[in-house]
Amino acid sequence: MIALKFTILRNTSAGLRRAGWIAGAVLVVATWVAAVIAPTDQVRHSVLALIFAVWAVGGMVGPVLTSGAGVLRAEYFTLLPLGRAAVARALLVSNFVSIAAGFVLLALLASLWHAATLDPLTIVLAVLGALLSWVFVITLSRLVYGLLGAAMRSRLGIEIAGVQWGILLAAMFAGWMIVSVAITSIPALLIQGLPVGPITLVLDAIPTSWPLLAIEAGTAGAWGEALLLLLALAALDVVLVAATLAIRDDPVVRRRGRPRSLGLVAGGGILPATQTGAVILKELRQWRRDPWRALESSTAVWTGAVIGIFALLGSSTAPVAAFSGLIVAFMLGLSGCNLYGQDGSAVWQNVVGEDETSVRSDVRGRQWALILVFLPRAIVVSVVFLVLGQSWWAVPYLVAAIPATLGAAAGAAVLTSALGVSPGVDPRRRVGPNDANGNISLHIWVVIFAVTITVAPTAAVIVWAAASESPLVAVLAAVVGVLNGFAAAWLLGGITIRYLGTHMVDVFSRIRYGRVFREDPDAGVLGWIAQSTLKAEQTMHDAKQKERDQKLAKTAGR
Amino acid sequence: MTDDSASTLTGQSPPTSESSGWALELRGLRRLFGDKVAVNDLDLQVPHGSFFGMVGPNGAGKTTALSMAVGLLRPSAGAAFVHGVDVWSDPVEAKRRLGVLPDGLALPERLTGGELLTYWGRFRKLPRDVVAARSRELLRVLELDEAEQLGTLVGEYSTGMRKKIGLATALLHTPRVLVLDEPYEAIDPVSARVLTRILRRFTDGGGSVVISSHVMALVEQLCDRVAIVAEGAVLATGTLDEVRAGASLEDRFVELVGAPEPEETELTWIAG
Repeated sequence: MIALKFTILRNTSAGLRRAGWIAGAVLVVATWVAAVIAPTDQVRHSVLALIFAVWAVGGMVGPVLTSGAGVLRAEYFTLLPLGRAAVARALLVSNFVSIAAGFVLLALLASLWHAATLDPLTIVLAVLGALLSWVFVITLSRLVYGLLGAAMRSRLGIEIAGVQWGILLAAMFAGWMIVSVAITSIPALLIQGLPVGPITLVLDAIPTSWPLLAIEAGTAGAWGEALLLLLALAALDVVLVAATLAIRDDPVVRRRGRPRSLGLVAGGGILPATQTGAVILKELRQWRRDPWRALESSTAVWTGAVIGIFALLGSSTAPVAAFSGLIVAFMLGLSGCNLYGQDGSAVWQNVVGEDETSVRSDVRGRQWALILVFLPRAIVVSVVFLVLGQSWWAVPYLVAAIPATLGAAAGAAVLTSALGVSPGVDPRRRVGPNDANGNISLHIWVVIFAVTITVAPTAAVIVWAAASESPLVAVLAAVVGVLNGFAAAWLLGGITIRYLGTHMVDVFSRIRYGRVFREDPDAGVLGWIAQSTLKAEQTMHDAKQKERDQKLAKTAGR
Repeated sequence: MTDDSASTLTGQSPPTSESSGWALELRGLRRLFGDKVAVNDLDLQVPHGSFFGMVGPNGAGKTTALSMAVGLLRPSAGAAFVHGVDVWSDPVEAKRRLGVLPDGLALPERLTGGELLTYWGRFRKLPRDVVAARSRELLRVLELDEAEQLGTLVGEYSTGMRKKIGLATALLHTPRVLVLDEPYEAIDPVSARVLTRILRRFTDGGGSVVISSHVMALVEQLCDRVAIVAEGAVLATGTLDEVRAGASLEDRFVELVGAPEPEETELTWIAG
């Protein structure tokens, strides 16, 4: 798990790809082993149904995380004399020709074993079924990616992506919990299969399970039913392919806001018409309307929720679920660690709009907006999991810990945003799910480090409260937590303001020119962070450039 | 070289040490990108109330020079003054007087035009009712009110509309010097007239406008003073008539910048 975390955070595409290949091969072998060692037909059925469903989910999640499917973008072909439909077909077909797709096919062919042990005649069904569900998984993968890439404009698309990222981050943060749940349950699963009940019914309804059902129907002599199942799967494939091509045909579905009357343009609102108020309002609108930012906040919620669910699943980890909301609060720090990078070259406004208080208003406004966006989410997730786990004992600790963490994270977020601005693709040209950020691996560690240090006072009082069990100390903990939060946000924000007071133009330079024009590099921790993040950004940029060149050379050589 | 050409071509007195005589003054501005000299000791003086056009081929350093002039790019050497205030040592005072329209940069893409102006007005500390009145008027005059009613976000604007909303942000806080990078690019003829009318009113009121462009005819038609820039330096500057010296601006430009002679044999196939 930790190795995976490092690999993903480092974002070295070659290393990641190799790791992906190894992981894929291991998973294929695991699928076959599970099929072979299953003691009874019924166990084999439920295990394979479950594993195939996992492959389908993996197919949906995978491309977004690795952006492998996004290497070719439809826009690249706009100038070629090809019809949109032709480009869409070619893009879809290109998806089937990949190592990952090969792994999927190999795994799905594990149903051959099921067929062979039941009735060798049904192997025909197994092969057909595996091919059909292969088309299903790959097309679904492309469809989901297309929905996300082309239609990040829809709220639903953002939430789906949020769930995906939430699962991934939850796996990184709380992998030990999954591992512990898995270790206790997988052997039982492999030997006993799934208990017959709603879960198996749902699993059988998933199209990837239909080939298994067809094989069993064939074994029982009901070839008509078997063929019907395969035909249904084929029909579903056709629908999915059509849907995928349709997305490509009409990629731009403009998301329109509600019609507004001009009278409301500069209207009242509850926020003060001050410089800081202006920034808060602008930021809140960006958080709501910018798909990438909406994705960040949605990911935070789902990371908390997924960890909570994992925790509830294991008996020993259940109490942890009460703190899911705290995860959301902490995620503020990661979601907001690159605010200026997300604004991209729009930061020019902060440079030309400079006055005595502009930097202070900008930083404080961004901090308030972060709190306003994440506090309600942290509260909602907390309440849900307190209710689910009936863990009312945790309330005093949450009342202390959430304000402290939110404040510390809001401070750490603006500080890393200023020091390590990482523009990625400029706002107007963003299309894919990974476009908003460049290389933010160091940012994550800085945020984790800064938050951990600055919430230490609250943590200490919480430990004291837990040990003493005195309600007075619990109240004290809450007070300390709130004060701690304000102090951390104020302190880290203050450092940011002082830094940006002289460096706003450098932030813009990093976005616009990818470097800083300063003869005298800064010393100290801040300077070190600024230079390290810049170097990481440039290294990534160079690596991408090199990869692109290699690809070009390869195509030219053909 | 720059100094020579400036004084001989313009026939005006060389810049005095009293810099506040100019609305905008660039002194020895220089920017290196690695080994490449993008702007090479560029000097430029923009008088008060003038409509100043900066022309040059693509890659001449116009945008780079203007970026340094308005505080967006740190110069390797030299200085820029707005009404005699040094942009880099007293940025707050200088930026108060400057209105800027950069070329090809993002805006807060997820706001509508009206929301953007409201944000910008309040960010620049204008009173609430002033922001409301000016935003509404700018949207109406620049014909962006319909898009506003539809709730169109800036990110969905066409290039021309982006120019217009960008100009509105540049004008909102009543600057004294406008620096506009390619303001007429992608603007339709009707909007261009509106734009010209606004800018003329601005200069009539004593404000100064600096635009960059590579469309000679446009500059010739609009500007009373021009500077021809190539390879990061000013080749000629002065009033329009001084610079074009009897010829058209385009001929003068080609004469100064140099254009490759077309070969008779090249592209003979193009006519089919």
